[in-house]
Amino acid sequence: MRRALRGFTPGAWVALAVVVVMLVMVVAPGLIAPGDPTAIAPREAFEPPSLAHPFGTDESGRDVWTRVVHGAVSSLGVGLQATVIGVALAMVLGFAAGLGPRWLDAGIARVVEVLYALPTMVLALLLVTVRGPGLAASVLAVGLATAPGYARILRSRVRGVATSGYVAAARLDGLAPARVLTRHIAPNALWPLVAVLTLGIGQAVVWVAGLSFLGLGALPPSPEWGAMLNAGRVYLTTAWWLTVGPGLAITVTAAALTALGRAFGRVGVA
Amino acid sequence: MRRPALLPLTATLASAALLLAACSGTAGDDASGAPDASGDAGAATPSAGGTLVYASGDAEPTCLDPHVGGNYPQALLASQFLEPLVGRDADGTITPWLATEWTTSDDGLTWDFTLAERTFTDGTAFDAEAVKANVEHLKDPATGSSTGYLALAKVDSVEVVDAQHARFHLSEPDAALLESLSQPWTAMESPTGIARGTDANCLAPVGTGPFVVTGSTPQQQVDLVRNDDYVRPDGTAEPALLDGITWRFLPDAATRYAALISGEVQVIDNPQPDTIAAADADSSLGVEHIDAPRPGSVNRIELNSGQAPFDDLAVREAFIRAADPEPGIETLFAGVTERSFSPLASVEPLAYSDPDLFTTDVEAANALLDQAGWTTRDADGVRTKDGNRLTVRMPVSTNQSVAAEQSLFEQIQANVAGVGFELVLEPMDLGAWYTALGNKEYEAVSAPYTKVGPDVLRILYHSDGTVPAPSGYFANHAFVRDAELDAWLDEAASTQDDDRRAELVQQAQQRVLEGFYILPLYDQQNHFLVRGATGVDVLHTVSTPTFVDASLTS
Repeated sequence: MRRALRGFTPGAWVALAVVVVMLVMVVAPGLIAPGDPTAIAPREAFEPPSLAHPFGTDESGRDVWTRVVHGAVSSLGVGLQATVIGVALAMVLGFAAGLGPRWLDAGIARVVEVLYALPTMVLALLLVTVRGPGLAASVLAVGLATAPGYARILRSRVRGVATSGYVAAARLDGLAPARVLTRHIAPNALWPLVAVLTLGIGQAVVWVAGLSFLGLGALPPSPEWGAMLNAGRVYLTTAWWLTVGPGLAITVTAAALTALGRAFGRVGVA
Repeated sequence: MRRPALLPLTATLASAALLLAACSGTAGDDASGAPDASGDAGAATPSAGGTLVYASGDAEPTCLDPHVGGNYPQALLASQFLEPLVGRDADGTITPWLATEWTTSDDGLTWDFTLAERTFTDGTAFDAEAVKANVEHLKDPATGSSTGYLALAKVDSVEVVDAQHARFHLSEPDAALLESLSQPWTAMESPTGIARGTDANCLAPVGTGPFVVTGSTPQQQVDLVRNDDYVRPDGTAEPALLDGITWRFLPDAATRYAALISGEVQVIDNPQPDTIAAADADSSLGVEHIDAPRPGSVNRIELNSGQAPFDDLAVREAFIRAADPEPGIETLFAGVTERSFSPLASVEPLAYSDPDLFTTDVEAANALLDQAGWTTRDADGVRTKDGNRLTVRMPVSTNQSVAAEQSLFEQIQANVAGVGFELVLEPMDLGAWYTALGNKEYEAVSAPYTKVGPDVLRILYHSDGTVPAPSGYFANHAFVRDAELDAWLDEAASTQDDDRRAELVQQAQQRVLEGFYILPLYDQQNHFLVRGATGVDVLHTVSTPTFVDASLTS
């Protein structure tokens, strides 16, 4: 890890800083924006950005800045959760396919290929349609929909590592199979996933926001970025600041995570 | 792994751009075909001919025949090609249309209509046989009518006296018969057209109106052309000025407004309140605003008194005292509508208001809930009683509520949370919404209902309305079951004494308001924005637009 950080470019450091700030928003939004994201003040609706309201106020007089900060839990937090679900599932599939008998590998490979053929968003939409809208459904949908991609990467890594010389040596040393797995195969197979994962979280944030934008994710009055973007869309000509705040949040988050993921890849964490 | 990811994105963007270009291309063709400018010099000179483009935000009707089902989107279109037996003017007086005069027997059970001489656009004569065929079509369960069926529930049969005279036989007196017959859902269709069968008739119903349906492209538009032989309600033969109307479906409000401002369309419905205000404020945009609130019920939130917690009057009053929708109505609706305190639309002459019942009083709301036993609060600040949370589920039909209205519901959600209600807003499509209502999975709901005249009270608040129709729909969502109210509504529906009717209608409204069954919000919004056309008017039945005197301006 220390070796990785030494190779960081200034851009990567900025990306890392942004991601840290975003994580603070998720863990303790009150530190950055102490207000209540759902407190309404109808008579102060549609106020343009000012010192009191850096991102202006929305159609119900709620402070857009406060909502964007508190929305990080739904948007970024949900992106993280979805990625965790996706990776967890991918690990089961990837290790089973990589280490299991040939028929199991072939079976899993076919299923993953079929799922991979469907665009992630279509798969997510399908799951939300079955389960009904809501943040929990979006998390599960995006998690399940991203799993095939991770599973494929993992399987090929596991295969490569499992047939490598040092794993063969460990086996010949008489190490128990479980120990070989945890000590040698898993760390070496999972390591490359860090870069892909960081990229994946950014993508998951965009997908969850997309589902909410379509009215299938967060339920009102939850300050989710995609939902805020959708609510502000109808006032685009009269109150542009309703969409700029959440739009910036999504863009900056996705950009920072992508930059960070690439930096990880470049400096050879992978 | 990373690089190829860009490829699908680029491809998507490219195809999206192509798609947009294709769309605007078609639209441009439509628009350029529309105004028959013919080189007139004046800036806003009306010109004869040309095709007007109307962009509707209402749902696209699955069947153009308003006898089938019977909703507002069908009424909007049907008003262009079908005509009712009677009309209605701005102050509620019934006027002759396809029927020139009518008399009723002393017992109110027989109505004689004298019919105007007209011909349907397919050449079939409009006569007493046609009236009989229409009523039978509406009452035939196979037709699947709901609005027209309910409206004519008391009509037993139609007797053909002679070609120009039809006699209605009723099972009981019906004070609302003429109002019911003035609606587009009971308008007259060619019996020859009806005989083609439901599928054919749904595609192109045949009437006597100023326009004729010539074709439709699903998910896009319905094409209407002028009826050259059109005879107006007063008997003069004078067709419409326009060559035709292209009736387009543009579900997105922002897109509709942009299409209006760019000149692609000349009339839009269901505009966002902020764009109405912008158009009103800036005359240089050249936008005419027609405000035509729908008759019948007001737009309100109904509280389900049939189950906990709203089976308790005190809890209903507490909700209403805490909701405080007024500041939101002022800002979200940008002055285009006013707060209502009545169960009936403001255009109904018999509407009765009582603002005192709806003053916001948070202290009183808290006291009411304390008295009702909701004394404890959980960690979320939601009141509890015997381990139950004070939760109110409200399914919201996103097809029927504009964005501003959904925002208003969120404000009410925040306001009632202050006194310990957990209002759960559940946005859903129309199908899921009907299902939620049918399964009684709601404690509050806002459901529109349009009907000419105060008889709508009987449909919405009579205990009969809690019993689902064969279709599963019931209109009394507040579950009002009050024997005395039932008796008043029954009498109001059958009395032939107008003063007595007015008295009963007022009593009934008072009872509904005092029972805190509903939180009235504002009239059912019905606005039209017009640009590049003149002479667009609305009918005073259910406020649908008419284009018989409309023309394009160059």
